[in-house]
Amino acid sequence: MNCGYGEKLILYFYGEAAEAGEFLKNNGEAGAALRAEVESHLAACADCRAELETLERVGAWLSERPGGPSRAAEAAVMAAARAQASHRRGFAFSWREALLSGALAAVMAGVFAVSGGSASADLAWNSGLDSKLDSVEYSVYQAQAEMSSASGDWEYSYSALEDEGLRAGKNIETYKEAVI
Amino acid sequence: MPQDPTDAELVAAYKAGDPEALGALMERHKAAVYGYLLRLTGRPDAADDIFEEVFIKLVKNPGAYGERERFSAWLFTVARNAAMDYFRRGSSRGEVPLEGDGEKPGPGDFAVSPEPGPEEVLANKELGERIGAALDSLSADQREVFYLRHYSGLSFREIAGILGVPIGTVLARMSRTAARLRDILGAGVQ
Repeated sequence: MNCGYGEKLILYFYGEAAEAGEFLKNNGEAGAALRAEVESHLAACADCRAELETLERVGAWLSERPGGPSRAAEAAVMAAARAQASHRRGFAFSWREALLSGALAAVMAGVFAVSGGSASADLAWNSGLDSKLDSVEYSVYQAQAEMSSASGDWEYSYSALEDEGLRAGKNIETYKEAVI
Repeated sequence: MPQDPTDAELVAAYKAGDPEALGALMERHKAAVYGYLLRLTGRPDAADDIFEEVFIKLVKNPGAYGERERFSAWLFTVARNAAMDYFRRGSSRGEVPLEGDGEKPGPGDFAVSPEPGPEEVLANKELGERIGAALDSLSADQREVFYLRHYSGLSFREIAGILGVPIGTVLARMSRTAARLRDILGAGVQ
């Protein structure tokens, strides 16, 4: 059979006759015109009617066999999707944390910059920080002086011991000479 | 009444971290994608593997769907490419006949018919065998276009985009498919 309605029949059957206006440029047929033309042809052409009936029956036969992937395949996809989503959430959380830390640091820097020198000096003065620092400094000097004094005492004692040792050594020598 | 989310909205929800959105997408498209792959490969195990591969691609890279086209057009493009890779990898097509080999069931054996009687079962089986044989007799190009149109519901223009051929080529292949099926099945298929 070659009645020349092959592609038109397909467009008509699948409800895409509107495509015909663009596809069949030479014929200049719009969708409605093509539908009317095909229907008129079908009334007279048994081969084309049989063709459409075959397409309909084969399509229905395929649709009656729904089938589907195995549960294992679906489970594998879902496991991967959950893992991926969890990974994405984790990544997003660390970014949030990083951004939060940066924002906090910026706020603190801003506070210092704005409140700056005089305010912090006033704060230190009012808190008595200066006088406390003075007493700490004094304590350090005092400790240094005590350490120096202790060191002097130790040196004196060491020298006294040395003298004692020398004296004892001399006495031994004198004793030896007297005996020999 | 709230409307079901569109495919694009589900992809966006998955991108935002909701894995169940991907589950909803898979539920919506699994029968069509699996059916297409099963018909193309003729093997339930291969169809299952490719189906998983297709959706894992979406899981790993949802951004690959750019929302410029219909989601189903994108999905069937990925499915078709994955099936082509499968064939390129050297797996032979049609090792399991569509109607089964007598021991293990083939895709054509999963007929859904409410409590058919013995005569109806026999008639359905005979009809199934004839239709399966007619579909098998199509050329690879004809079969591809026919299955894409049946399972995806995409327009011929979208199918032309997936296959990278002019719409006229797609329509010509469909026309030859219809003529061949009619010649083989004839009036007996009614």
